[in-house]
Amino acid sequence: MMTRVLDHGVAPLLLIPSVILLLVILVGPFFYMVWTGFTDLHYALPGRDGAFVGFDNFRRLMQDDPIFWHSFLLTLKFVFWVVLVEFIFGFALAMLLFHYIKQHRFILTMLLVPMMLAPIAVGLIWKLLLSGDFGMFTYYMRMIGIFDQQTSVLGNASLVMPAIMMIDVWQWTPFVTLVMLAGLLSLPKEPFEAAVMDGARPVQVFKDVTLPLMRPIIALVLLLRGIDAFKEFDKVFILTGGGPGISTEMLSIYTFRINFKDWDLSYGAVCAFMVYLVVLIMCSVFYKAVYWNQGRSKPTQAVTS
Amino acid sequence: MKNSTITGRFCRSSIVGAALAVFTLGSADAIAWSLEEAAAPYKGATIRTVGEALPPLEAMNKLKSEFEKRTGIEVVIEMYEHSEAVNKVMLDLNSKRGRYDFILQPHRELGRFVTNGHLEALEKYMSNEKLRDPSFNPEKQLYQSLWKEISWYEGKVYGFPFTALTMYMWYRDDLLNDPKEKSGFKAKYGYELKPASNWQEYTDISEWFHRPDEGFYGTALQGKRHEALWYEWLNFLYSFGGDMLDTKSGSECGPVIVNSPEAVASLEYYKSLMAYSPADTLNYTWDDVMALMQQGKVYQMIMWNDATYAVAEDHEASTVAGKMGFDIVPQGDGGKIGQVEGWTYLVPAYSKNQEAAYLFIQWMMEENQQLNQHLNGGATARPDVYAHPDVQKISYSKASMDTNAVAQSKPTIPESPQITDILVRELSGYMSDAKSAQEALDASAVEISKLLGSCAPMKYPVQ
Repeated sequence: MMTRVLDHGVAPLLLIPSVILLLVILVGPFFYMVWTGFTDLHYALPGRDGAFVGFDNFRRLMQDDPIFWHSFLLTLKFVFWVVLVEFIFGFALAMLLFHYIKQHRFILTMLLVPMMLAPIAVGLIWKLLLSGDFGMFTYYMRMIGIFDQQTSVLGNASLVMPAIMMIDVWQWTPFVTLVMLAGLLSLPKEPFEAAVMDGARPVQVFKDVTLPLMRPIIALVLLLRGIDAFKEFDKVFILTGGGPGISTEMLSIYTFRINFKDWDLSYGAVCAFMVYLVVLIMCSVFYKAVYWNQGRSKPTQAVTS
Repeated sequence: MKNSTITGRFCRSSIVGAALAVFTLGSADAIAWSLEEAAAPYKGATIRTVGEALPPLEAMNKLKSEFEKRTGIEVVIEMYEHSEAVNKVMLDLNSKRGRYDFILQPHRELGRFVTNGHLEALEKYMSNEKLRDPSFNPEKQLYQSLWKEISWYEGKVYGFPFTALTMYMWYRDDLLNDPKEKSGFKAKYGYELKPASNWQEYTDISEWFHRPDEGFYGTALQGKRHEALWYEWLNFLYSFGGDMLDTKSGSECGPVIVNSPEAVASLEYYKSLMAYSPADTLNYTWDDVMALMQQGKVYQMIMWNDATYAVAEDHEASTVAGKMGFDIVPQGDGGKIGQVEGWTYLVPAYSKNQEAAYLFIQWMMEENQQLNQHLNGGATARPDVYAHPDVQKISYSKASMDTNAVAQSKPTIPESPQITDILVRELSGYMSDAKSAQEALDASAVEISKLLGSCAPMKYPVQ
């Protein structure tokens, strides 16, 4: 009876509230942001009340804003390195837990602590640890002779970005471990047993069975971490505010500055739109990466046949 | 001749009569006006404000209960960190919600607010007999230069100074008068140890007291990429004879001179002090250096007058209370200098309780409230408060008054916060060795000139 009611067109009606909600809180603001990018809206300067200016803001971004492009490249480097390192460490840790540690629940719970902390708390904790005056990290670095008395991680333009990457790796590697371990636990046993029967060595099993089977999980974890790392804001804001100079001025910090320091909302909208565009491209690339070889990639059949 | 004498007598009589009449009427007004009566129409109203969480606002929070009791108007005070307090107001004004009935803001924001029509000029309230307390005469009771710089824009009054801020030199008076330190210093540098009066002495004294192995430092710079860095450097810039714009007042636009030879020299000198500052100096703002001083870890620094109380007088918060000395910023080629900065009372155009807000502001500007606030960490703009015996006893009163007397204006035009942001970024770049002082200031000058347009050509063009 219920199925028949739903078949007769009621089902789409039930979706209407959700669709309206999405339109109001997601689609509407997005299009408003895009529209703002075509205006001259500026909260601080008189006479800039939101008149249409065409592509002026986009032109400024492309031709006349070296700091934006510095921030853009810095963010891409940050995303590349942190996602790569987190993936390698996270996957390795997941393999270790999967193969060698039977009672891994307790260890996993411990590992998850950094991930469960609020980014602001992470920033404040590391601000204390990295303090040049009394920070524990700096103290030990001085004790073993790596830092001298005047070295301060957060005040040094060449050390500060690697330090922020290190903190991100510390915080988010457990997430990668968690997802990868869940993926490993969900894999079917038969392909692995067949590979061992056929005399495959562990490296071959990893390369030819584990990796292909894990591909969707890997893509998912890279995508989620990539998007999240691209939006990195809280830790940098707390630790350095984008400085010293522009050495940690990542795209989100720069966009925040344009919008909420300068109050140049029209140009800020264009910067925010660029962030959205890059995330969109990342999603498409990862989506393609997962499904581009789906026809050929049938490891289960390949091994068992 | 006779006629003229009579006329003269008549005139004199008339003048005396008129003066008496004015005096009598004035006195009658003074007697007739009362806060309770003036506030009666607004009884039951709630007025809300927002400002920076520092001793002056905390003092106001304690004082407000008397106003509430007398008027029946409730006063709600929101306190935030500096940037947060500014951002909250900016969003409220632009949304035109009118959440705040009066606001406390740094005066560099004035141009933005006025030119966008966000503020109510106070003239109409000051000339309203029902609201204006006849005994309130800001034209006579305030430092005129400070009032005009902090709360006026293009010849119109928009508020009254909440704090008349400035920066001066803090130093450890107990160490300065230590005979061992005095003799050791004289033996090394060939002159008596005394508060630094020029930058060479400031360097020598910083070097002498710099003992990082003992956890004690000669000075502490506010080197983080933050407004604090810009404010601190301005002392050096002005003292070396430089400035940002070649103008006579904050509300004027004019040629950009921030990359002058004096400015470059001041920045290079400023950075040279990093050698006597803690390792983390490029991560410090005013809060951090104040904490260092409270912990007794630094000999001297250039700091704000509204932070002085917490270090010099508050024995619960500071280990060096009673041990501090204060003096005007050391002199360079620019002579004796100070910088005008202030938080100002302003009434938003969207406030729903403007009259009640005006009454509260006017009440806060009275001598009693100003005295009370000043004694609890405020920084008044009333000379009579500085002359009060209790204030004279405060260790930093003289330094405050001396600095107020020579304080220079800074831009309050709509673009001034952006100018600050540009300079903060470039100064921070220089401090972290990313570029030279000349490169940093040239880049700033180019960007500021572009931001301001035709009214701000570059006096020192970049090749």
